[in-house]
Amino acid sequence: MSPCDRRTFLKFGAALPLALQSLNARAATSSEAKAPPRRIIFICNSLGFYEPNFFPVKRGDLTTSRYLKELAVKEKMTVFQNLFHPGMDTSNHDSEKSFLTGIPSPEATNFVNSISLDQVLAREMGGDTRFPFLSFSIYDRGWGCSWNDRGVAIPPMHDERAIFDKLFGEEDLSAKRRQIENDQRIVKSLYRDMAQLKKSGGDQQKIDSYRTVIAEIEAQLAHEEFWLKAQKPKVPDSLSNDQEFVFSTKVSNLFELAKLAFQTDSTRVITVSLDWIYGAISVPGATGGWHTLSHHGGQAGVLEKLSRIEIDIVKHLNKFLSELDGIQENGGTLLDHTTVVIGSNFGDASNHTCDNLPTIVAGGGYRHQGHTVLKGATPLCNLYLELLHRHGVDAAGFGSSEGNMELLTG
Amino acid sequence: MRAGMQHPRLGRIAILFAAVFPHGVVIADEQREEHAIKILEYYCFDCHDSATKKGELSLEDALAKEHFDGTLVFENLLAGKMPPADKEQPTAEEKDAVLNWLGKRREEALPKSFRRISRHEFVHSLNDLLGTSLDLASEIPEDRGTNDFDSDRRIKLSREMLTSYFSIADKMLEAAFPENGFPAEQQWVTSKIRDSHETYRIYHRPYKEGTLFSWTRANNGNSYSFFIDNFDPPVAGWYELTFDAAKVAKITNELSLQVHAGKYYYADDRPQPQRLVGVISVGDREVRSHTVRAFLRPGENVSVHCYSRHNFRSRNPQEGIYIKQMKARGPLLDSWPPTSYKMVFDGMPLRSGSRETLENTGFQTNLQQIGGKVTVSSFQEGMEKEKMQDGSNLTFWHTRFSPKVAKPPHFVVFENPRGAEIKGLSFATWTGGNGNGLVKSYDIYFSADGKSWGEKVMSGGLDVRLANEQPIIFPSETTSRFIKFLVTDSVQLDNKSIASVGKLDVITEIAEPVTISRVAVVSRSEKDLKRVIRRFAERAFSSKLSDEDLAPYFDAALTGLKESDFAQAAKLGLKAVLCSPRFLLAPGEHSNSSYAMAAELARSLWLSVPDEELLTLAASNELRGEVLRGEIARMLAEERSERMIRSFSDQWLNLRGLNKVTPSLKLYPLFDDLMNHYLPIETRRYLQHLIQENMSAGHLIDSDFTFLNQRLARHYGIPGVVGQEMRKVSLPAGSPRGGLMTMASVLKVTTDGFDTSPILRGAWISKNIVGTPLSPPPESVPALEPQHDHAETLKEQIEQHKKSKACYACHKSIDPYGFALENFDAVGEWRDTYKIKQAHRGTFQYRPKGYFKMGGSVDASGEINGDKFGNIFGLKKVLLADERKIAYNFAKKFFEYANGHEPDLVQRLHLWEFVGRKPENIRLKTLVTEVLEYSLSESKS
Repeated sequence: MSPCDRRTFLKFGAALPLALQSLNARAATSSEAKAPPRRIIFICNSLGFYEPNFFPVKRGDLTTSRYLKELAVKEKMTVFQNLFHPGMDTSNHDSEKSFLTGIPSPEATNFVNSISLDQVLAREMGGDTRFPFLSFSIYDRGWGCSWNDRGVAIPPMHDERAIFDKLFGEEDLSAKRRQIENDQRIVKSLYRDMAQLKKSGGDQQKIDSYRTVIAEIEAQLAHEEFWLKAQKPKVPDSLSNDQEFVFSTKVSNLFELAKLAFQTDSTRVITVSLDWIYGAISVPGATGGWHTLSHHGGQAGVLEKLSRIEIDIVKHLNKFLSELDGIQENGGTLLDHTTVVIGSNFGDASNHTCDNLPTIVAGGGYRHQGHTVLKGATPLCNLYLELLHRHGVDAAGFGSSEGNMELLTG
Repeated sequence: MRAGMQHPRLGRIAILFAAVFPHGVVIADEQREEHAIKILEYYCFDCHDSATKKGELSLEDALAKEHFDGTLVFENLLAGKMPPADKEQPTAEEKDAVLNWLGKRREEALPKSFRRISRHEFVHSLNDLLGTSLDLASEIPEDRGTNDFDSDRRIKLSREMLTSYFSIADKMLEAAFPENGFPAEQQWVTSKIRDSHETYRIYHRPYKEGTLFSWTRANNGNSYSFFIDNFDPPVAGWYELTFDAAKVAKITNELSLQVHAGKYYYADDRPQPQRLVGVISVGDREVRSHTVRAFLRPGENVSVHCYSRHNFRSRNPQEGIYIKQMKARGPLLDSWPPTSYKMVFDGMPLRSGSRETLENTGFQTNLQQIGGKVTVSSFQEGMEKEKMQDGSNLTFWHTRFSPKVAKPPHFVVFENPRGAEIKGLSFATWTGGNGNGLVKSYDIYFSADGKSWGEKVMSGGLDVRLANEQPIIFPSETTSRFIKFLVTDSVQLDNKSIASVGKLDVITEIAEPVTISRVAVVSRSEKDLKRVIRRFAERAFSSKLSDEDLAPYFDAALTGLKESDFAQAAKLGLKAVLCSPRFLLAPGEHSNSSYAMAAELARSLWLSVPDEELLTLAASNELRGEVLRGEIARMLAEERSERMIRSFSDQWLNLRGLNKVTPSLKLYPLFDDLMNHYLPIETRRYLQHLIQENMSAGHLIDSDFTFLNQRLARHYGIPGVVGQEMRKVSLPAGSPRGGLMTMASVLKVTTDGFDTSPILRGAWISKNIVGTPLSPPPESVPALEPQHDHAETLKEQIEQHKKSKACYACHKSIDPYGFALENFDAVGEWRDTYKIKQAHRGTFQYRPKGYFKMGGSVDASGEINGDKFGNIFGLKKVLLADERKIAYNFAKKFFEYANGHEPDLVQRLHLWEFVGRKPENIRLKTLVTEVLEYSLSESKS
């Protein structure tokens, strides 16, 4: 099957057993010299970054940003200024739902989301790994940046121990095989069940929506069955146990898991959604409600505390980027083969505005610009469209995109 | 409404209009519209035309738009907020005409056809269907998102959710019908405890035959755990934990024992979360048995925290709780053969042996179980080798130091006479004391004869601070007859060579004599299997089912019958039922309207499936009118309705976020886990009481009673409540408590644990109690969260909203409610002045007086819609003046909870009219019943 055929195939077969693609791709790649795969990660800092600390004061000079000067890989990143999601000047915290979809008015009661960028990419890049994609959040809240093709939230994983086990933990293969067979039987009987329901005049829309989910489960079972043949990678447990700064530990562990997942080629698409709008958190130098502090209203004392939290997150980002850049792969570093997108749904979280979204693209092997100030407000989806093209998805448009502006070169 | 489209509710609206126009005149749509707009023009356009636009609202422009959402106008008109009291008022008929027209023209953008059942409904239903009692909801991801209610119809099923339903169904079916039988019930009795840390011995001391616990709050403010030693649950299941305990204190108040389950505190080298499974209130000075039931998993231990009046640092305490012993029994089954078999295979003959109870008398080390012996280099009298073999790290072996210090080498030799395969040694320090003698490093030697030891096998270091077992794993398993543990370094405070060990045992696999009891269904008949599946499916789907409907489930089970026994085969069919859209998506396909009603009632009131009585009534299609109301009353009276109370109050009052807020111990040093545990219980018990006793909606605002125990009463400053069981307590005159708003649960969940925010609290009252729809803040308005340590008073800061017209339009109906609650701090305690947090030196050291100074005084006054109030007492009066509105809002919320969407305007009108029809219609049980009867019969018609 040629790549072009495969794409058409994919387009029409959302429920297609992913394992078929896996087999296919494996057969194709085994004879060639192995080029490192391309990976991509989206990190949404849901309460934004305080703009004056984030964007470089002097155009083009990253060292004039209080936050970005902390990042070691300045040559391998570009900060974009003036990106936004059209139709979303202001919103509430629901705006995170649109971060990777670009669909306006997420706060409206009749809002319906659409497929998120990572999920489009997972269809293209996800077939060859044990996990087509991974999605993380800080706590169990059931939604994050990843939305499926019906606009339904994909619940992110939040327990770092459970994620580690899922990725690297030993499993009883014969039990797992029996489980898969058992589930496949159930799926078969559910198809018959739905046919019968339809015949006896059940709600068409309801049955169809259920059938879609069952088809996805069927595909997932086939994928899992295929991966039973391969051992999970073994890695030492490198998760942090620091109890003094629980929030910090959580963030750093999620990044560590992302790094390990990429390094072991367990997945090639990850989303991470960072927020905590409940009680207070502690980071080195400050304790307070992150959400409360994010509504700083320009007060200096509050801003100082808020910036401690934001600096802490930047510190973890820096560690993540530097470590990716320290891992050598064929023809470069892991960072060179991983596109890291760091952004937020808020431009100014204090006022809940969504223009001038802080956006960084790092790694990916692009010829980076350091700091790009766009002329006039530009849809973030233009950048998204470009990312799709650069990862082999031949899309005409995405969300509110007006076109691929070729913001990334090289 | 566009011409030519058939409105689904047109029929009913016509009837409503017939009521409005008693002469039976049915007027056309256009005439009605014209009539309504004329009324609006006459009464509203003076202020709300496109020129004046008072409150940024031009009705003139809005009405011209095709998709105008009239909700706000509707609600304001309904509640009599508009036109303002000083303006000319429309007549009742005119008002009705406008309300009906607005209700009808509101286009519903939301699909209302079906919803998925929530994770809580899934687990409760399975428990009721299978006769199990597992709490597995937390293993399923939360999928409510940012919606208020689990039932919200906008939430759709995703692959990830269905995958986890598949796996939870497996787990629960396995618990009900385990493939390998049921393990025997065992019983353990132990009086030994194990500290989590070597410094914890200061919290307790040996007393009579057991231990006296005095206080548990440590330097960091946490309550520390003391683990009951020598009890590890062998399998997941329910266990009965009986503590023989007495109060040792001459005080009236009772002392509390918090019973926790979780991994050993420092297992895996990190603090492990402990889950509270019960609280025991100890009031008697004689030893008495107190029992809690807990669901425990292998790898979990049981630990206790003692809560006395000395919650921190009482030196040489003579008071506390004396625990003589703990008896654990389990895994428990309600009956034998188990309920699951009796329920699902109802009436079928079962073959089962008897189920024994195994007594675990006395503690045995692994070494003793493999017939081994231990020798030591020397010992001090009273600290013999047996002391490190007794299963407790409170007693220990010590090398001789008196009258003469024993010379090194210090060692322990294990003899393995039967040549068992030994993987390593399990070591633990002893806790307390000054640490003298604790082993820091060791060498290991093997020998065949106990004389020639050869090369060292391994060496290693040990952590002297940790109290948990530290495994020493040999490079490879050994069957050597002799193993030597040689001490190479130890803590030597006085430069004398000594060594001591709390626990030392071999690590080896002991073949546990696990007794399994099996149950089998005595049948291999396909007919029987089909009958079982049918009964189960008809209850799960709440419908009569034809053979055709059931064919897929029959087949799933019948294929299994070829490979395995009856119960295992049935499991496949049952799982197919539990994963069917007929079960997971509601409304399902029901064979008559009573079945549909039964399903909805069970889901709303029990978060489950109908019981036999409902199904019987449904089979003869009798569920309507008096019978229906009777069933609602019966269901509310049943214990299962507590699930509804919990679910509804968690969601309506946002209490699900309660544990996400951790109050600062610097500002609120008296806050603790025990209090936190009871906060939501007060709210639940109160709401349950209001509904059960059919009390008026005004009780949501104020009341002369609430539900308290000793801990909460102390928090609220109410004397005379002894013991920790929750009970109805009359509030003293002048108490600000009573009603939902002043409950500490609500007051805590509306803060970030540090400061209170009148904006957040105001929004909470506005949305949840008063029912004013809130819109998001307008663009480009600087946001503002007040700071308590600011030079301006909090109020001055918030009053800045007044300066801006854009802010004020909304905040005038939000902030004032929040001001009234300013007399309550972030944990709900009364305050007259603010606390300002102060720094502490070095790392945080807990102290009961906290770290704060007093700041400015609280001003809790405000004004809402022209009504002034001085504080919470005043606000309650203002809100109580319009009890109908409170009742109407409650009905709306319950409607949304039950139906998964807000009532549309026609439905709101119905609820509003119902509430106003008779004085007794503002009573909560009446409202719950009405909402269910109205919305269910509507969705079924």
